[in-house]
Amino acid sequence: MKKKLLALLMATSMVATLAACGGDNGGENAGSGETVALTVWAAEEDQELTSALVEKFKAANPDQTFDITIGVQSEATAKDTILVDVEAAADVFAFANDQIQSLVDAGALQPVQDVDTVTKNNVAGSVSAATINNTLYAYPFSADNGYFLYYNSSLLSEEDVQSYDNLLAAAEKLNKKVGHVLNSGWWLGGFYHAAGFHTTRTAEGGTDLNWNGTADYTGVEVTQGILDIVASPAFVAINDGETGNNIASGEFVAFVTGTWDAGTCQAAFGDGYAATKLPTFTVAGKQVQEGTIGGYKMMGVNAYSDNVGWAMELALFLTNEESQVTRFEQRQIGPSNIKAAESDAVKANIAIAAIAMQNQWATLQTAGDNFWAPSKTFGEILAKGNPDGTDLQTLLDTMVKDASAAPQ
Amino acid sequence: MAREKKKKENPVLGALKKIGSFFKDFGEAVAKGDIWVKASLLVAGAGYIRRKQVVKGILVTLLEVGLVLYTVLIGFPYLAKFGTLGTVRRGAPVYNPVTMKNEVPDYDNSLLILLFGVISISALVVGILLWMWNVVGSYRVQKLAESGKRLNTFRQDLHEMFNKKFYITLLFLPIAGIVIFNIMPLIVMICVAFTNYDQTHMPPTELFTWTGLANFKNLFSTGGLTSTFGYTFSKILSWTIIWAVSATVTTYFGGILLALMINSKYTKMKKMWRSLFVAAISIPQFVTLLLLRNFFSDIGILNNMLTEIGFTGFLQDVGLITTDYIPFLSDPVWAKVTIIVINIWVGVPYLMLIATGVLMNIPEDIKESARIDGANAFQIFRKITMPYMLFVTGPYLVTQFVQNINNFNVIYLLTQDIYTTMDQKLAASNGKEVDLLVTWLYRLTSEAYNYKMASVIGICVFVICAVFTLVAFNTMIKGDKEESFQ
Repeated sequence: MKKKLLALLMATSMVATLAACGGDNGGENAGSGETVALTVWAAEEDQELTSALVEKFKAANPDQTFDITIGVQSEATAKDTILVDVEAAADVFAFANDQIQSLVDAGALQPVQDVDTVTKNNVAGSVSAATINNTLYAYPFSADNGYFLYYNSSLLSEEDVQSYDNLLAAAEKLNKKVGHVLNSGWWLGGFYHAAGFHTTRTAEGGTDLNWNGTADYTGVEVTQGILDIVASPAFVAINDGETGNNIASGEFVAFVTGTWDAGTCQAAFGDGYAATKLPTFTVAGKQVQEGTIGGYKMMGVNAYSDNVGWAMELALFLTNEESQVTRFEQRQIGPSNIKAAESDAVKANIAIAAIAMQNQWATLQTAGDNFWAPSKTFGEILAKGNPDGTDLQTLLDTMVKDASAAPQ
Repeated sequence: MAREKKKKENPVLGALKKIGSFFKDFGEAVAKGDIWVKASLLVAGAGYIRRKQVVKGILVTLLEVGLVLYTVLIGFPYLAKFGTLGTVRRGAPVYNPVTMKNEVPDYDNSLLILLFGVISISALVVGILLWMWNVVGSYRVQKLAESGKRLNTFRQDLHEMFNKKFYITLLFLPIAGIVIFNIMPLIVMICVAFTNYDQTHMPPTELFTWTGLANFKNLFSTGGLTSTFGYTFSKILSWTIIWAVSATVTTYFGGILLALMINSKYTKMKKMWRSLFVAAISIPQFVTLLLLRNFFSDIGILNNMLTEIGFTGFLQDVGLITTDYIPFLSDPVWAKVTIIVINIWVGVPYLMLIATGVLMNIPEDIKESARIDGANAFQIFRKITMPYMLFVTGPYLVTQFVQNINNFNVIYLLTQDIYTTMDQKLAASNGKEVDLLVTWLYRLTSEAYNYKMASVIGICVFVICAVFTLVAFNTMIKGDKEESFQ
């Protein structure tokens, strides 16, 4: 009979829990008189910088009280966190441009209202990277997320770094190594895009990928060009994500990587620290300039934000000229703002000058989620020098078929 | 013994009988109960209040009101949409510059509908059962009162919960916890397997809906999710089983051998050796694994050392490797062996501890008499120690095997980011040679947001584990083995 009590307690607690779940905190009205609560996600290294900029933003809007919290979220994986629960994500977040399509598809990005300011002040490449179907969705703040060549100028001449043929020959003579990541669709893209191919995400979430076809050259010719580079004993294919450790080993005389490794390269090359555009590589007997994937970082505003208007104001502020200059001064991040990029300090930065030079041969890459695993494996096969001797056309056909598939 | 066994009832049959008698009781209560019992069909506390159990009556009525209110106010709107999981897609938000806010018309969130639908259905079922139980209870109180027995006051009821029925009080929290935090989410996750919840159908922006058995058909028919899904599934399943068997067997026998060695009468400083191995446990496993991953990587310390002493060169000359480093964690065969070996290192100390305890319990006189009969050390190990160990640690062995099937840590931490498959067919389905079903499942969900297929594979893993556990427990623990060790 007393079991009823148990049943009762159990049921009461359950009802209480359910009621708690169902309780929807009614939307607060954030009129100008009330405190506006916002959350900003920025990379771990940018926390101090961001909080300084946020303070400036508050000072610039003295009529409004804010409660702004700053959270840690890497720009490279922002999408993974946001897509899990869009409603719980930050109001303003930084992300790398390769994630923009997924974020737009998930309805996570608020279209930019002040399109003119953003378009007029930032380099064209960054604006087009932030634009999907003619709508501007994000506020670019950096234009340095690509790859280029670091080298040791006390061992290599400018002539040596013009082409892979010269570079590898010189490195072989010096008994030193040249490093380049190959097992990733992002790093491989530079070779194929240089030959006129493209990687574009389709509306269904697949990837329009023509690397097995014919553009200026055939896909097989480009692939053979990469394999010729790999065949050199001076070449080391680096595992994606391990560039830093490798550079630090001191075996290298030249290394293809991005601005994030600038410090490591400087330490490794010492006085000879230098950077320039990527070398040319040989495709079907001709020299082709290797490209980079145009990489930009940008601020996005959550379309589910309760204070979407102030969130947009904040995003605009965090990416304006002054903030970009501060960002460069404190973190050596290459600005996408046209005026900020023209300053002498920015031009004097070896790595940022090199990426600016390389950006002449930058292309955009947008891809569906199925692109990455097959292209990574394809790159790994090339990095190992195609050990099974599979026909290159077959390799390309298989990779392109798998990588372009839309998710089911 | 034999007679006792016959008495044992089939548990399924027993449960069915119980359910049957519950419904019979309810029918009897409704038919034979007085007007107050019949009234408690409507107002739950009526029967109790009539018998002066007022507090109980009020509590029961309040609960009834709560459940009805929940069902009508919260449950029903969700239940109405449960069949479709929502039909109104969230439109593009319209920004209003005056209020500085987005204006969004009402929209459906499939995930919330699924979640609250499941909760509401459960609440409804529980509510109906409680309602029936309450009527049966009221009738029982009526009968007690009619036979002139004294009825418990509320205080006495409460008192009993802390004495005779204390187990109910104790069990209440854990059971409530399991229901709310384990069973409910589990049911929701299982439901996902029958929907099209994936990257292109992500709430709150998009809707997902029921698709019946389509996902299971996709998984088991050729073609399937990706062109190579079946290939990847079978390849990963076979490695999962090979891994689970070898990981379990190696750590099991490794642990026993280690314990035997430490327990041997010739071993000096037993406590020190034991502490040294236990020290390995005290470091969190993920720290050990991440350190080992760096240690064994292609440019790691071990490779550097082996190159320096010329071992790498020797392997190259022999033709075992073609690279100028040893691909401990980057070649499919090397990686599998390395992972199993590392797992021995990580897992043996645990088993050593358990085995030490069990070994000390083996009656010395059995061994003594075996020795007198002329048995050598190996014979004693094979005929006495092992059977005893197997009997005592049998259930542990089974759970260990199931745990290894789902051993996410070791595989994921050792291979994520540094292992790249060269098999294009596996890559097309996001798999790797070294993946277990569970790590593959994790990457399918976290990297490709394919929740529906993740749920399907999860169900498959569960079925495999459940079948194995049932069979193993039945064959290992069945019979009268218990007798032979007592």
